[in-house]
Amino acid sequence: MAYDGKDKVLEEVTAKAYEFGFTTDIESDKAPPGLSEDIIRFISDKKNEPEWLLKWRLDAFAVWQKMEEPEWPHLNYTQPDYQAISYYSAPKQKKVLGSLDEVDPELLRTMEKLGISLEEQKRLSGVAVDFVMDSVSVATSFKAKLGELGIIFCSLSEAVQEHPELVKKYLGSIVPTKDNFFAALNSAVFTDGSFCYIPKGVRCPMELSTYFRINESGTGQFERTLVIADKGSYVSYLEGCTAPQRDENQLHAAVVELIALDESEIKYSTVQNWYPGDAEGKGGIYNFVTKRGICHERSKISWTQVETGSAVTWKYPSCILKGDHSIGEFYSVAVTNNCQQADTGTKMIHLGRNTHSTIISKGISSGRSQNSYRGLVQIMPSAENARNFSQCDSLLMTDTSGAHTFPYIEVKNPSAKVEHEATTSKIGEDQIFYCLQRGIDAEQAISLIVNGYAKDVLNQLPMEFAVEARKLLAISLEGSVG
Amino acid sequence: MSAAVKSQPQLGPQRLLAHPASQAKGLELDRQLQAMFPERTNEAADALLTTLPVPHRRLERWKYTGVNGFWADCTRNEATYSDSKGLNPMPIPGLEAYLMVFVNGRYDATCSNLPVAEGVSCMPLSVAEKTGLVDRVLTDMEHTDWFAALNGKYASDGAFLSIADGVILDRPLVIHHRQQGQGSATFLRHALHVGKHAEAQVVTWSSASEDATGFVNVLTTGSVHDGGIFRLDKVQDEAGAVHHLAMESIDQAANSQFCIHTGTIQGLWVRNDLFIRLNGSGADTILNGAFLPSQSEMVDNHTTVDHRMPHCTSSESYKGILYDRSKGIFNGKVFVRPDAQQTNAYQQNANILASREAVMNAKPELEIYADDVKCSHGCTIGQFDEAALFYARSRGIGEAEAKSMLVHAFVADILDGFGVEEVALEVRHRLAEKHGWNRWDEPSEL
Repeated sequence: MAYDGKDKVLEEVTAKAYEFGFTTDIESDKAPPGLSEDIIRFISDKKNEPEWLLKWRLDAFAVWQKMEEPEWPHLNYTQPDYQAISYYSAPKQKKVLGSLDEVDPELLRTMEKLGISLEEQKRLSGVAVDFVMDSVSVATSFKAKLGELGIIFCSLSEAVQEHPELVKKYLGSIVPTKDNFFAALNSAVFTDGSFCYIPKGVRCPMELSTYFRINESGTGQFERTLVIADKGSYVSYLEGCTAPQRDENQLHAAVVELIALDESEIKYSTVQNWYPGDAEGKGGIYNFVTKRGICHERSKISWTQVETGSAVTWKYPSCILKGDHSIGEFYSVAVTNNCQQADTGTKMIHLGRNTHSTIISKGISSGRSQNSYRGLVQIMPSAENARNFSQCDSLLMTDTSGAHTFPYIEVKNPSAKVEHEATTSKIGEDQIFYCLQRGIDAEQAISLIVNGYAKDVLNQLPMEFAVEARKLLAISLEGSVG
Repeated sequence: MSAAVKSQPQLGPQRLLAHPASQAKGLELDRQLQAMFPERTNEAADALLTTLPVPHRRLERWKYTGVNGFWADCTRNEATYSDSKGLNPMPIPGLEAYLMVFVNGRYDATCSNLPVAEGVSCMPLSVAEKTGLVDRVLTDMEHTDWFAALNGKYASDGAFLSIADGVILDRPLVIHHRQQGQGSATFLRHALHVGKHAEAQVVTWSSASEDATGFVNVLTTGSVHDGGIFRLDKVQDEAGAVHHLAMESIDQAANSQFCIHTGTIQGLWVRNDLFIRLNGSGADTILNGAFLPSQSEMVDNHTTVDHRMPHCTSSESYKGILYDRSKGIFNGKVFVRPDAQQTNAYQQNANILASREAVMNAKPELEIYADDVKCSHGCTIGQFDEAALFYARSRGIGEAEAKSMLVHAFVADILDGFGVEEVALEVRHRLAEKHGWNRWDEPSEL
């Protein structure tokens, strides 16, 4: 039985244009396309970096040149031409800004269109926003407020200048330069990103947030985020992104490193809404991200992600549970529509005793998209009494989309308890019937069911983000998901 | 494969990566085997042997399964074909059955007892091929796996069984393969056909002498036609140090049923690779397996169920208990093609690690391209249930005995599922012997 209006609903979905597709006209300071040692020297020089960082970049570049782009994901795309990308682009205005009034009004308008007006954010939600446009931070707020607590929240380039000891100690310690193809590329050419340090015993009073936007046509964006939670501290970090509409595929290869020292907790939430390409699969962002965190004793890292955008997603936020009694969590909702492809999941590597991990992954496939969960749970011999629970469910909205599950489970300690379960199904006709009977129309019914389906993950998001996430779910599957 | 099928998503390794070192090793093995068996040629297989990647650790399907044992110890061919002296041709006591015995890949007519009945055609494959009853057609298995292609080229004999439409084979057919002597490479190929509304029960039993080494490469091709029922009990009980690779490539037509039960009793290196294609709607597949490796044994179960048509069902359950330094691998794949609506697929893999050094790697996969389906899988790796152990201990049952009760309960449903009762009994008996249980129900130690 097909419920009424399904076809209509799907048509509407595919016809829905990308809401945030607009570009900002700001002159930018741009490197010529191509990648070579000279370009890396240029980037490093532009950013006035110390010698050790330049060497680190060049080493990464040497490693990258020997690596091959991974072919194992369940993805089908044309590999980007890495020599056709411009690796540096910064808005021209370089002077230090004291207040929002000094920010280019055009930029402010862009932010307003994105619904993240800094003033609003500042006044109403108490969220400190480190706004990244292309590659250089242009405005940072709440810095003084955080400074009182000793919290460092700034752009990575600023941190390189002002806190070189912390950057040098932790940069690349979790995602080494030779970790994978995209991480190596990022290490060689990263232009900026966010840096966050929470001192011992401090509970960060507000959600830290960064908005990324790819803006300049033909520029890749190579962000690098480093979050360090010192002993006994807590931080909730939000990352959200939207990008303007482009026909040409754009590459986004970010690296995120989280360090949770003893008894600290990091909550890292992402809402990802890069431009997914049009209904025919033309254009869209390639999102190849390496995210990893390390947990020391009794610490906790929690990844929550809502993935609705990007033409191609390759992303596995992972936890290395090194310390005893540490906890890793991964909550994910991945929605693919039209011709989107997503290969996403997590890795939980248990090294310490009594380590726990939880994986909840909810995939929703619509249109002609392909949505894969790929995860690794590894219990090493030292991980006494380790515990893992994984659940990955897939919901298929159309008969032309695909949902796939590739879990890897490797256990080397007999005291471990590992459970994995997965289901794939479409929305139950009986569920829709139940709603119809009670006067709820098909569209609302689907919305109800999908919201309920993704509830476990959406509930993990901080308040401000949950609203945006629901909005994104609605845009991504509008019609079929209210 | 028809053109219509080709335009659909492709199953199997999508990007095949050859590794120069293993490629060289593989081709060297092929060369040595060719020198040993100059008469065995097959052009199609030759082409596959040069184009397919030779298995190595970076190939997804061989990620956890080392193949180093293959290169060294299989072309010495010191085993001279000895007759079946010292061999018990019928491994399953008390079973009334037809019997085909193979020793190191060669058919032993004196020990065998073939069915003679109207509508039943049973003979060694070499005879069937010579008389034109069957052609060697390379299946999807050979087209995706290098070792299967090797079988396509070098297998010289095996069992051929063909049941005509509507005929029911009155007794099980036991195909017993015995590996003897040092360093021999054995290739065996069975072709089993069950006609429309026909029914057959086959038992394949592999054994080896204590001193046996080398490798055994068995490929079973099977087809079950409309409404046919085919049950296959597969038991691996090889002493010695044999590398055993068993592949099943099965095609099922509409409303047919295929059940395979795999019991791995012992074997240094055992890999089962099942590839089941559901080509007609209403087809049903049951795949069950149990493995209890000890010492440094390795058991690998790979299964692929390819749902090609609507309204098919598949149910899969594999259970393992790993002792000592043993290693277990499970990789189950349920593949649902775009047309296979109303598929109902279930997959379960449960494992217990009974020692500190044991390792289990599991990868239960779903790959689904149709929306109106119910597919689920579950996988657990853990320990004996503390509460259950405590319950038994608090009632005066010793720890070893309590554990063995739990073992019994854990694998009972799989062991009970063998199509032939005598096989189930003998598997239990052999397992008890291997693990030193005096009797299954009252083991002295575990």
